[in-house]
Amino acid sequence: MSETSPKAEAAKLLPFLTLGERADLQAAAAQHVLALTGSGPGRTLLAGQAALLRALVELAVAPPPAPARDAARALVNLAADPGLHKPLLEAESGLPVRLLGCALDPQWPWAEEAAAVLANLSREPVPCAALIEALAAPEPGESGLERLVRALCTPGYNARAPLHYLGPVLSNLSQRPATRAFLLDRNRCVVQRLLPLTQYPDSSVRRGGVVGTLRNCCFEHRHHEWLLGPEVDILPFLLLPLAGPEDFSEEEMERLPVDLQYLPPDKQREPDADIRKMLIETIMLLTATAPGRKQVRDQGAYLILRELHSWEPEPDVQVTCEKLIQVLIGDEPERGLENLLEVQVPEEVERQLQQQDHQEREQQELELGPGPQAEGASPT
Amino acid sequence: MEQQELGATFDDGMDSFLEKFQSQPYRGGFHESQWEEEFEKIPLFMKNSPSEIDPLENPDLACLQSIIFDEERSPEDQARTYKDEGNDFFKEKDYKKAVTSYTEGLKKKCADPDLNAVLYTNRAAAQYYLGNFRSSLNDVMAARKLKPCHLKAIIRGASCHLELKNYVEAVNWCDEGLQIDATEKKLLDLRAKADKLKRTEQRDIRKAKLKEKKKQDQNEALLQAIKARNIKLVAEAPGEDEDSASEGLSELVLYGLSSENPCGTRLSVDDQGRLSWPVLFLYPEYAQSDLVSAFHEDSRFIDHLMVMFGETPSWDLEQKYCPDNLEVYFEDEDRAELYCVPPSSTLLQVLQHPRYFVKALIPTFLVCVGSSGFCRNYLRGKKVHQVK
Repeated sequence: MSETSPKAEAAKLLPFLTLGERADLQAAAAQHVLALTGSGPGRTLLAGQAALLRALVELAVAPPPAPARDAARALVNLAADPGLHKPLLEAESGLPVRLLGCALDPQWPWAEEAAAVLANLSREPVPCAALIEALAAPEPGESGLERLVRALCTPGYNARAPLHYLGPVLSNLSQRPATRAFLLDRNRCVVQRLLPLTQYPDSSVRRGGVVGTLRNCCFEHRHHEWLLGPEVDILPFLLLPLAGPEDFSEEEMERLPVDLQYLPPDKQREPDADIRKMLIETIMLLTATAPGRKQVRDQGAYLILRELHSWEPEPDVQVTCEKLIQVLIGDEPERGLENLLEVQVPEEVERQLQQQDHQEREQQELELGPGPQAEGASPT
Repeated sequence: MEQQELGATFDDGMDSFLEKFQSQPYRGGFHESQWEEEFEKIPLFMKNSPSEIDPLENPDLACLQSIIFDEERSPEDQARTYKDEGNDFFKEKDYKKAVTSYTEGLKKKCADPDLNAVLYTNRAAAQYYLGNFRSSLNDVMAARKLKPCHLKAIIRGASCHLELKNYVEAVNWCDEGLQIDATEKKLLDLRAKADKLKRTEQRDIRKAKLKEKKKQDQNEALLQAIKARNIKLVAEAPGEDEDSASEGLSELVLYGLSSENPCGTRLSVDDQGRLSWPVLFLYPEYAQSDLVSAFHEDSRFIDHLMVMFGETPSWDLEQKYCPDNLEVYFEDEDRAELYCVPPSSTLLQVLQHPRYFVKALIPTFLVCVGSSGFCRNYLRGKKVHQVK
């Protein structure tokens, strides 16, 4: 293939991508597009081809023999680049809605790929808002969010797709207050169903998504008492992935929550360092209020964190752990500082902290990379 | 027109009826002495209904009953009546009778699935309060076959599973119910309760497992300690050949180690890794015995004998069992030979003797007074060795 007129090359693909075209030609064209999405320049090229993008979306949601899987994987790669969200949505504004339908369809074989596209898209505010709107659309019986939670929490919801990427989707959505309000509804059983997933062994993507969701929920300090109380009992689920096969004394054991007592000698800690850090951060959020701190202390968190600290191989996770231990064993703060989330920070200090935060954030972005990507097939 | 005529006849009849009593007393009234009992017999004023209705005793009631339970009414009507009857019994907490009524209703096999589902669900509730959780569960499952989304049946089913300690099932049923009504408080409470009980149960299992493992490790350590000392153990029946003995032996020993012997003592190890054995002393002269519950392997026989025979025991008729006079023997049952043990030996030294076999984890020794006639008699005809 000549490189001299890539635009023209790309345009040539378009007729083969339309619905109704011969299946084998469609498949080949889709594979080629997928290969293009594997590189930066390839993606930029495709971004300028609105008609092609539209055709790609049509294919991604089309029934067999259409090459829906490759089309979806191409979209995953495109959506991984935040700069491409605008052209994608401009080319096909119904993209979030249609992919959502696929992701939540129990019969759709490429639901995981659809979810992965949404996971990438929802990292950015504009597509996230579009997704929230799509979920809010009135559905007879179940709300879209309820369906999403159900799809995530019900094993075997989709016999052909594991739907791990619904975890990060929910995590991104939980950045919005409306989502958190739904998750933390005391008259329903929503957040409780997410808790066991912090131990989900087969996917760090799912675990990470759920823990991220829980962390975002814990910004709502009005709900802390309820979250830490018996109706939700969130703390053991946050501590369990951080606990190892420790041999505590009988007395120490009795102080721990039931789920952390007498763990077998082969108990493994959460292998992903980022998730460990998020778990600690979540517990840290729960210590923002005085009653919350008391509950966290009373439920024996210190013992688990102490052991974690001596085991923890990652330095930045260890530092986070240290900070939390300090809060747990430290004295109660002075008056006016009881709720650390509501403290009035002096302007100068605020500016400094923001700068620090910004720098930290940049560093993290570099480390984590641009989000889930699908592998591209190389052209034959 | 017709009505006026009727009215006229009625008035006439009434007048003549009333006029009768000017000459005759009213015969249909209650008797003064037993008016309360007679009052009770009138169905409208009954406080308690009789469980069996005898048509001769109580014709009015029998009449009413035959109207209600008339076989000519439709099965649906009959079933509905039985349902109402069951509900009444239920309100009075007479759950057994309620079950009977609901069962009768179901027997009608009426064509209304809603009604049957309610009958099953209500019977399930009555069974639940009778403590028959399995039967209750069967009934709600039957109810759900007819009406899968019957919320009351689902709630009852979840409660049954909870009582039956099927916590995972209880949570699943609650989740199914919450899909129908996401805010049903009873389901939310049940779910939280079942989940917590499930997690507590898992903890209990882990605790028991760990305890068992610890015990096994301890027993294994004891077994190793015994082996390391070259002490020979023997099952109840000594004389089995070495091969079969060694396999079955470890199990037997481990079993023996885990259970206490009938006297409530067992082999133990101290912090320095030294063993203490329960040791049985037999006094054949007087058919008496003593059990030392924890004979430290490094302590000497004489030390224990000094304590045990500090005062001569009550059965010592000749008052001759003093520590200095005593001789200690062990028997090699295989060869029917005796070995005399110097009292200054430690237990460990004797246990390690090539011909000493510990039976049932309790070392046993014979004690008698060396110079006594009994002892001489006892030892006559037996081969006696001296242990150094």
